[in-house]
Amino acid sequence: MKAKLWGTRGSVPSPGPETIRYGGNTSCVGVTLSDGSLLALDAGTGIRNLGLALPDEPTRLHILLTHLHLDHIQGLVFFAPCFRPQTEIVIWGPASPEASLHDRISRYISAPLSPIEVRELPCDVSFRSTPEAEWEIGPARIRAASVAHRGPTLGYRIDEGEDSLVYIPDHEPALGADLETLDPEWISGFGLAHDASLLIHDGQYADAEYLSHVGWGHSALSHSLSFARRTGARRTVLFHHDPLHSDAQLDGIEAEARELWVAGGGDPGAVELAVEGAELDVRTPAPSPVA
Amino acid sequence: MSAETALQKPLELILARNLMSALSTPAFLVDEGGILVFYNEAAGALLGKSWEELGTVGPQEWGSLFGPFDESGEPIPYDELPLVRAVRDDRPAHAEFEIQSADGTRHHVEASAFPIQTTHGSRGAIAVFWPASTNEAGA
Repeated sequence: MKAKLWGTRGSVPSPGPETIRYGGNTSCVGVTLSDGSLLALDAGTGIRNLGLALPDEPTRLHILLTHLHLDHIQGLVFFAPCFRPQTEIVIWGPASPEASLHDRISRYISAPLSPIEVRELPCDVSFRSTPEAEWEIGPARIRAASVAHRGPTLGYRIDEGEDSLVYIPDHEPALGADLETLDPEWISGFGLAHDASLLIHDGQYADAEYLSHVGWGHSALSHSLSFARRTGARRTVLFHHDPLHSDAQLDGIEAEARELWVAGGGDPGAVELAVEGAELDVRTPAPSPVA
Repeated sequence: MSAETALQKPLELILARNLMSALSTPAFLVDEGGILVFYNEAAGALLGKSWEELGTVGPQEWGSLFGPFDESGEPIPYDELPLVRAVRDDRPAHAEFEIQSADGTRHHVEASAFPIQTTHGSRGAIAVFWPASTNEAGA
């Protein structure tokens, strides 16, 4: 299983010279399974470049939406495969008691916010609320579960063989809770993220910034690292960068993250910040030989 | 039960516990099976024993420790508590009764419980207690 980060930014696109290295596009991760099946995790503006990179041939692909905030769906109407009649797209997302997934997404893909309607998309598109139980796409087992954020929001776990990718881009597990002392069963997202080969997790705020953003649905750096440590993630990529964070600031946050991770007994190479365009091999490292 | 729920409580219970932890109103939380999974500090003060001190107790032990008791002083079966009724009947429940704290003090309380429903069904229930009056045991 391989992953490519097409959009790493949270909240709103933030292009410009000060964000050119970590990227300015909003959330989207492309996941290619061993049989070639393609999944897109979220459809922020990063999905536009994912679409442009796909060959113009009959394709079936799945888009797994964590939630419907604009930074996770804004790229849908700019995703080239949506305009190819030979493409079949299945869009998965959180259920709501209020309206179907189709109807909620149609609020964005409709006038006056969009020049086209869902029914006018040339592709064969369908909408499915994620089931509570695990399901299969190609050779992978997929699981979705609610996580602590504002509004119905999911995290996803993709297992293929021994390898697992966990994607929780918008997550505030420390809201009203002490992650260091809680029993694991009381930690939001623990059931999804335990023992992940690769954890892509919310890393929106520095600790000092979090104090003025409590309840906004995102993590402080130390919370993200506590979550990664408690869940036993083999490798952690901090994602959903705050739009105000420049490349220089993110360099500083990454250095601090590694320092904190090492202070907690971790491998400095096991924590990094998400970089737009980065390709990640999702592989559980083999156990070290016993000396 | 999925692997998810085996490792972790449903998010709705986690969020309920986090909210309850910040309240000064005594509050209790049961899971979808009607098993008590948490009560907050205010409830601990009422019972004279914190949740952390209590450890795991089953319905029978709960009754012998805290009651509750009806107006004639008879124990109320665990299955008839508002919290358990709210889960079982999937609707709000209310009752007035006495509970006994660890030091023997009895508290006359009103309890209101409501189920926690999600798009995937019921997850459990929350009850809040409103102390009505206090009488020393045997007085």
